[in-house]
Amino acid sequence: MPAIQFREALRAAMVEEMERDETVFLMGEEVAQYNGAYKVSEGMLEKFGPRRVLDTPISEAGFAGLGVGAACCGLRPIIEFMSWSFTLVCMDQIINNAANIRYMSGGQFKVPIVFRGGNGIAHQLGATHSHRMEAVYSRIPGLIVVAPSTPYEAKGLLKTSIRCDDPVIFLESEKMLGEMGEVPEEEYLLPLGKAKVEREGQDVTLLSYGRPLQRVVRPAVKALSNDYNIDVELIDLRTLRPLDVQTIVDSVRKTNRCVIVDEDWGYCGMGAGIIQKIQKPCFDDLDAPIEYVHSDEIPVPFSHPLEEAMMPSVDRIIAAVQEVCYK
Amino acid sequence: MAVADQVQRRPPAPRPQSDGRLERERLRMMMLIRRFEERTYQEYTRPGQKIGGFCHLYSGQEAIAVGTAAIFDKSKDYLINGYRCHGHSLALGMSPHAAMAELFGKATGCSHGKGGSMHLFQAEVGNNGGHGIVGGQIPLGVGMAFAQSYKKTGGVTFCFLGDGAVNQGTHNESLNLASLFKLPCIFVVENNGVAMGTQVERASAEIDLAQRGCGYGMPHYNIDGNDVDVVITELGKAKEAAARGEGPTYIVANTYRFRGHSMSDPLKYRTKEEAERAKLRDPIKLYQQRMKDNGWINDEQIEALDHQAAQEIDQATRQADADPFPAPEDRFQEILAEKYPLEK
Repeated sequence: MPAIQFREALRAAMVEEMERDETVFLMGEEVAQYNGAYKVSEGMLEKFGPRRVLDTPISEAGFAGLGVGAACCGLRPIIEFMSWSFTLVCMDQIINNAANIRYMSGGQFKVPIVFRGGNGIAHQLGATHSHRMEAVYSRIPGLIVVAPSTPYEAKGLLKTSIRCDDPVIFLESEKMLGEMGEVPEEEYLLPLGKAKVEREGQDVTLLSYGRPLQRVVRPAVKALSNDYNIDVELIDLRTLRPLDVQTIVDSVRKTNRCVIVDEDWGYCGMGAGIIQKIQKPCFDDLDAPIEYVHSDEIPVPFSHPLEEAMMPSVDRIIAAVQEVCYK
Repeated sequence: MAVADQVQRRPPAPRPQSDGRLERERLRMMMLIRRFEERTYQEYTRPGQKIGGFCHLYSGQEAIAVGTAAIFDKSKDYLINGYRCHGHSLALGMSPHAAMAELFGKATGCSHGKGGSMHLFQAEVGNNGGHGIVGGQIPLGVGMAFAQSYKKTGGVTFCFLGDGAVNQGTHNESLNLASLFKLPCIFVVENNGVAMGTQVERASAEIDLAQRGCGYGMPHYNIDGNDVDVVITELGKAKEAAARGEGPTYIVANTYRFRGHSMSDPLKYRTKEEAERAKLRDPIKLYQQRMKDNGWINDEQIEALDHQAAQEIDQATRQADADPFPAPEDRFQEILAEKYPLEK
């Protein structure tokens, strides 16, 4: 299998789906003539023309809502946000409109739309541009929330998301776009709502997704195996809503221990929501309280050492795993 | 008041030759809407209240919805609206029963009791909803027009908003996008002079609201929203321009609502004189007079129409009342279109 960049995997998914389905189009800030603020859509304007690859003004509420309206009327928009932080100015369009129209109309409409872009802390962008929006959107009935952690996941999950008849929140990371990974040359799709057991193990279940999985969790798992003799079962959640509770519960029943890692704030954070889903079905199986490794409860600082210090680290994960393993 | 009185009105266009048949149907619909709204008011306020939540009545503004319906092609046009959406829904053909049952929260309502007064939808005729957040629907309307343009359906979108919505950020973003992409979108601002209890002159630095459509490279003007013929003519011109690919138009239809904002509104922001003066320009009365002048109807026939409308609404209301509420387990239905895990 050839190794390609995360951004190339995203682009390949969009290109393949646009070739397959005339109703799919891409819209967002700088996606066309500039070739993408982060070069995800490089070459797509040239390939598909201005009817299907459209630059927008800086009007998140306007073009997010435009996408929802178009999705209600038979198109399959891909709406790119330069950053998920910017959706703070258009949440009404996502939460009230994309997620609710089907329900409020008694099922008269479907809303097949993908909102995608960089989520989370992306190196010294400061407090306004570093929001982790997964817990915000994962709370909302009517939305699907997807967070890929490799180029392979990115392509397979994005293709399914584009074909999905429900609104999908697709969370990437600017810091992952250059990551390399193997992606099959032949077409493939990955299911939504299904977690992946990335590594089987006996001692502890580690849950994570997206950027933190790639940045600190995989290195921590390697260190735990090599240096601490702890056999981790690692689960890439892949879809945060609907959460694949069954796969998590099956794993925790086997290992009897669980650690969750994300870059969200802890209080009402993504991991807090996951704990609520698993603590009851796993209560009798747990040999230790579930540990939750998250970012510090502070605005995201600009200064690099401070920013690094607020986020989960390999050391913090190792300490949490040792805690639940009583080692 | 009076923004509606202060701004310059366009004179009504000359009417084409007619035998009065279409006009009688328009009058009937205006009277049906009025009867529906007045019955809604009664059902909301009487002991044993059957309607809950917010409920915004359309009485006084009927000419705009009915004029729009007159030029609306249900096979390819779309209409999207704010929350004051009963009148438009009836004008586009929703049965009074489906509308009243929705207000009652019944399973037989147009949205199976999941939308309510502010969220009436009828997709099969292009009624893409009442929407509850002020201004939240404007970008959606632009997207619907985008879909029409993308698919080259030849249809247009009538995007309705109120005078309160012009002060939302989405108003600016949507007008700009619609014009930038030259979309077949007709923005219709129903200016009833007051956003909840805040008069236009206390909310908009420019009281001539047509000027709020300035700066987007699209035609923007006022019309008399109480004259159904004016609405038909002016929206019709905008529709033709949009269908020719000339892009959006911004029309402010000046009108007056006879009832409060929602149901608990004591109308303290209005004087009695103002309300009396507005009644003189009741769109239904104006239209009845014009039809009588043209010899298309007489008082007896008007009374018969009113009686018929009252009976139709009464029957619809009784049926809605007798209908079942949705089963409790139905609350989990119609959230998502797909089953998960989803494999494609």
